[in-house]
Amino acid sequence: MFFLKSRMSVPAISIQNLSKEFPIPFRRESVAAVKGLSLEVQAGQVYGLLGPNGSGKSTTMKIVLGLVSPTSGKTEIFGRDSTLVESREEVGFLPENPYFYKYLTGQETLEFYGKLCGLRGARLRERTRELLELVGLEKAADRRVGGYSKGMLQRIGLAQALVQEPRLLVLDEPTAGVDPAGSREIRDLILDFKRRGITVLLCSHLLGQVQEICDRIGILHQGVLIREGPLTELISIENQTELILETAPADLLREIEAAIARTPGSRLLEQRKPQTTLERFFLEVTGANPDER
Amino acid sequence: MATTETLIPAHPRHTLFSFARIRAITTNTLLELVRLKVFYFMLIFALVLIGSSAFMVKFTFQQQFQVLKDVSLGAMSIFTWLLAVLSTAMLLPKDIEDRTLYTILAKPVPRLEYLLGKLLGVLLMLLLALGAMSAVFLAVLYLREQSAFADAMRGQAPGEALDAALREIRASTFTFNLLPGICVIYLKAALCASLTLLLSTFASSWIFTVITSVMVYFIGHVQPIAREYWLSQMPGGHDPSLVLKLFLGLVALVFPDFQIFNLVDDVAAGNAVPAAMFFKTAALGLGYVGTYTFVAYLSFANKEL
Repeated sequence: MFFLKSRMSVPAISIQNLSKEFPIPFRRESVAAVKGLSLEVQAGQVYGLLGPNGSGKSTTMKIVLGLVSPTSGKTEIFGRDSTLVESREEVGFLPENPYFYKYLTGQETLEFYGKLCGLRGARLRERTRELLELVGLEKAADRRVGGYSKGMLQRIGLAQALVQEPRLLVLDEPTAGVDPAGSREIRDLILDFKRRGITVLLCSHLLGQVQEICDRIGILHQGVLIREGPLTELISIENQTELILETAPADLLREIEAAIARTPGSRLLEQRKPQTTLERFFLEVTGANPDER
Repeated sequence: MATTETLIPAHPRHTLFSFARIRAITTNTLLELVRLKVFYFMLIFALVLIGSSAFMVKFTFQQQFQVLKDVSLGAMSIFTWLLAVLSTAMLLPKDIEDRTLYTILAKPVPRLEYLLGKLLGVLLMLLLALGAMSAVFLAVLYLREQSAFADAMRGQAPGEALDAALREIRASTFTFNLLPGICVIYLKAALCASLTLLLSTFASSWIFTVITSVMVYFIGHVQPIAREYWLSQMPGGHDPSLVLKLFLGLVALVFPDFQIFNLVDDVAAGNAVPAAMFFKTAALGLGYVGTYTFVAYLSFANKEL
């Protein structure tokens, strides 16, 4: 029927004119954390929510997750009011620097979160096994979480976020404090989620990583969305072109330079050897290829 | 690591209220509490105190049993109260500090279920702790009773005098009247746990919660005496006004009348507790637990995390 929105056309997250003010205790004043924020995250996108500390990213995320109530405005998850508990069926959340119950093993942790999502019996066991395999913690499944490294905690956190197979993942600094190899693993996982059609809302200060994986970004500053759009459009320099040539002979390079010189208004700004990234170099020299771990 | 291709779909239908979710949180809370070493020390200390009370005096057997019951029931009451306050006070702040609460409430878990799960976990732990203390208490009582029987039989020839002595020993040791006393101790601890849970929903730290809960406990013991004194000072023995009655009712709600739980003292003294009085105390205790839990939910439902 025409008045029913199709499942795919409903945005994963819809934020409309959202504002949040925190009252200052014992004073008739309040601090505005978010001011009139409106944005949509389409299903299947990896959306980067960026901004300096105190810009309102975490508050926005918490409002979307129903942990904080908005002063005004509305947030929806796949068309459902995000203040409703049932909207969280579709969401997995990994907070920044998470700690889980130290006395539980990795497997027990996932079983606990699975039970909260209504999983039981063989289905729960199978799901737990798959998630442990997915995040590479099968061998640490019977170890207590209290003995996990930072990277392992992030991975078990990611696994618990996925336990009910949500269509939306909200990740707050998922690679904070994780070594480059672990960071790359998490990045690859996020790219894998994207391939599977899972929507990801990512908050991170690691802009290089955001650039690698996000389709679209929004930049918050002092609670206001100051830039928003597809990443490639926002960061591309419209009047410049980059050519990367492989095994180009010196004659060809001279011809290209001459052609540029002959064209009015064109100018060769720079000619240099492309560089690998420091991350790739580090992983090569340490042999920490995630595929071999 | 594997790819997500291997994942199986897992979309259980959400229900508005789920005992299974509450059970998951309850079980986990119980596990969390029983793994805290400090509570083992407290429990062992209480058990040692109860056990050693059998050797504290060497008077007549009635006096010995009286001291044994006084010390044991007193120790059970105090340690169950301490366990209730200390264990409940740290639950919520710890989950918030570790951000574990975010991961739980970001799942389809209503805040009421989370609170109920936490409270039930504490109540189960208290049941286990009080059960252990009661078992030691009753075992000590039984052993002392057997010892008193043996002494009586050694000292007297079989006959009416011996039968009377044995009846007197039985009356001084285990009576079913002890069970309502133990139930009242549990109810008092449950009330304190729910009160502490309520305080922790808006307190800024667990120390504040513990101090406030302890203060309410002591005020709750004093307020009925203060109320009676105040009313007795009314000029000409007039009935209090409606406003005053409402005010006193509100004070009684905020600071529960802990004197009503002094039934335990009667039990220790060997007095029979009338069933009506026991059920009235139990209903009042459960009423307080229900009210505090409901107010805790109202406070927690709108808490900014």
